[in-house]
Amino acid sequence: MKRPLVAVVDDDESVRESLPDLLREVGFAVHAFASAEEFLASGDIGRTKCLILDVAMPGMSGPDLQQELARRRQAIPIVFITAHQDDTVRPRLLAQGAVECLFKPFSETALLAALDTALRAA
Amino acid sequence: MKHVHAFAHVIELVAGRPLFIGASQDVAEGKLVEAALRDSEREWRLIVDTIPGLVATLTPAGEVEAVNKKVLEYCGRTVEQLKQWGTSDTVHPEDLPRVIEVITRSMASGDPYEIEERIRRFDGVYRCFQVRGLPLRDSNGHIVRWYVLLTDIDDRKRAEAQLAGEKRLLEMVASSCPLTDVLTALCNFVEVTSADCYCGVYLIDWSGPRFRNGAVPSLPATFNDPIDGLPVRREIGPCGQAALFKQQVIVTDLETDPLWQESAIRPLALAHGIRSHWSTPIYARDGHVLGTFAIFHREPASPTQIQQDLIAQVTHIASIAIERALSEAALKRSEVFLAEAQHLSRVGSFAWRVATNEITWSEQLYRIFEFDPRVMVTLDLIGARVHPEDLALLHEMIDRARSAASDFEYEHRLLMPDGSVKHLHLIAHGTTNESGEVEYIGATQDVTQRRLAEEALDKARSELAHVTRVMSLGALTASIAHEVNQPLSGIITNASTCLRMLDADPPNVDGARETVRRTLRDGNRASDVITRLRALFGKQSATTAPVDLNEATREVIALSLSDLQRNRVIVRTDLADDLPPVTGDRVQLQQVILNLLLNASDAMGDVDDRPRQVVIRTERDEGDRVRLTVQDAGIGFDPQTVQRLFDAFYTTKSGGMGIGLSVSRSIIESHHGRLWAAPNDGAGATFAFSIAHAGEGAAGGAP
Repeated sequence: MKRPLVAVVDDDESVRESLPDLLREVGFAVHAFASAEEFLASGDIGRTKCLILDVAMPGMSGPDLQQELARRRQAIPIVFITAHQDDTVRPRLLAQGAVECLFKPFSETALLAALDTALRAA
Repeated sequence: MKHVHAFAHVIELVAGRPLFIGASQDVAEGKLVEAALRDSEREWRLIVDTIPGLVATLTPAGEVEAVNKKVLEYCGRTVEQLKQWGTSDTVHPEDLPRVIEVITRSMASGDPYEIEERIRRFDGVYRCFQVRGLPLRDSNGHIVRWYVLLTDIDDRKRAEAQLAGEKRLLEMVASSCPLTDVLTALCNFVEVTSADCYCGVYLIDWSGPRFRNGAVPSLPATFNDPIDGLPVRREIGPCGQAALFKQQVIVTDLETDPLWQESAIRPLALAHGIRSHWSTPIYARDGHVLGTFAIFHREPASPTQIQQDLIAQVTHIASIAIERALSEAALKRSEVFLAEAQHLSRVGSFAWRVATNEITWSEQLYRIFEFDPRVMVTLDLIGARVHPEDLALLHEMIDRARSAASDFEYEHRLLMPDGSVKHLHLIAHGTTNESGEVEYIGATQDVTQRRLAEEALDKARSELAHVTRVMSLGALTASIAHEVNQPLSGIITNASTCLRMLDADPPNVDGARETVRRTLRDGNRASDVITRLRALFGKQSATTAPVDLNEATREVIALSLSDLQRNRVIVRTDLADDLPPVTGDRVQLQQVILNLLLNASDAMGDVDDRPRQVVIRTERDEGDRVRLTVQDAGIGFDPQTVQRLFDAFYTTKSGGMGIGLSVSRSIIESHHGRLWAAPNDGAGATFAFSIAHAGEGAAGGAP
């Protein structure tokens, strides 16, 4: 069985290093991108089963990418991750269709639960 | 009684026998005496006929016995006719009953009498006389005859009446009676004094110029109304000419006088049965004409000297009354104006005589203190109103004011009965009068509104400052959390991965080792964040040390990156490799850089049509200096306001305090540097500072 592809988009290098390793350990195929633009430029959009997306990034932000994908009618389930513990952000993102919004640092359990929801939604 | 005897000797008895005194004398002696008496009587008669009195004798019963020549001449009647005085018109009919009563009573009692009565002159004119009657008694005390002296007091009475009338008018003027009342009384007075005439006072409104009826009490509206408002022109009539040519105009007969055939007044006057019209200008003290005084008669008439004197007198009084009314109106206007101004500006004025403690307050001051305007103001009363905490101040001020006439100024509060507080500002000017008494004239302004506004502003300012502090604390917390959460996130993820790798069968030891290595790195990274924060916000006093501006800049960027990212700001750095260190306080310089960076970020908050890009550049500057520039693509600023940008509390941001740039500039200036701003060629602005680098002997360092 082919492993589901998860894309990680975060400008923080330590996230791009650590998160893919963990996701591979639990059985996903992972591609990591340093910016939203990089992700859009890749050929992965159609194959990606779940997008783990940082909220605040230089240039195009996470929500910007969410809107862009919606505009392109690409229904990729999105799990947002953010280091800003801003309580107003989460409901807004969920209302706009995100599967989950995790505040860094998040536990492995919370991450896997969110991924599970995302894949079942797909 | 002596002079009564004298009269007994002097009276020539026109209709009777000569009077003999001493009936017991013998004939020869009597003849001698008689001759002597005749001579004496002739002499006395001359005197009697030249004295200005009229003399008569009455029988003990009160019948006229004899009169002197003057009486006959005055009355134009015979003795026989005069004997009938009790039933004729010799005495004015109005006075007759009273005269008969007085004389009858006096005849009965034998007491002398004195009475004022009007007696008819030969031409029918009644004049007022003072009449005194005295009894002559024989040795037994019986009344033989009455001697009567009649003195013409008509001129005196008229003068008295006129004087009394004038006095009444002047009293009305002095007691500020309305002008119309005074002028009406004036007309009535003239009409009573000079019989059979109508009077009018016509005022002139020189702005027209037009006549205004001041008072014409005895003529009907059909006569008065058409005159009110007539233009002041000669063609109008005598009043027009009198006003314009400053001359008295006497028209004896309007009907026949050829001069006034075409005048406006003529048909009106004739329709009301008026024939003569005299008009006299009423002058102000400076000589200009205030109005005219007119006298009308139903018969052709020209003024007698008495009437001219009366006219002169009343026009003078009218002039006083009118001028006084005008100046009172002007005074009232200026009083109203002053009161209104005091009310508007909440300024009350006062005068204080130190020696007598006499205090005079303006209406507005009563209003400020909320005292009844009828109460007398005393220092104690004032003291009762002054705020207890300011009483000492008041007493000190009073003591100082008493000691010498000087100007003073102070502020104090009032505690009102309802518990509210008023703030007053008082200014006083001290003077010493001729008798050496000190007097103060001053003004007190209610500055409560201003004080309250200032306090409200202070409060708003401190609230704003507090809000700003709280907000920056919140932003700081979020910033710290973000900086720490990033590596923590890595640590936790790596640790989870590590556990999974070690739990695998067989365990992935190489992979686990790699995750532990990353965990360590992220741990150090978190630790670095804390160190940087302490360096930036720790309570270090200003220190002077070599500072690597590039490194300081990188730290500021790292710390504010989350803020910048939230605002979707892209930071580009262009830091010179060979930058020499500057001398100064690292934290202070970093505060300046942070401020410039956040300002740049804020300036681009509404920019959506171009990248929100900030370029931070460091480079060597002329003259052993180092320059740092922060260039944004924001809204920029109006070059004309460039100087104000650095003023404290000047801000273009809705949430800004306007402190940042002013503090930044003072920091840079304390480093002997310069901070400036310039608009970009394209969008946005560039802020830059330049300070000396820590070269050999270069001037530098914070104080």
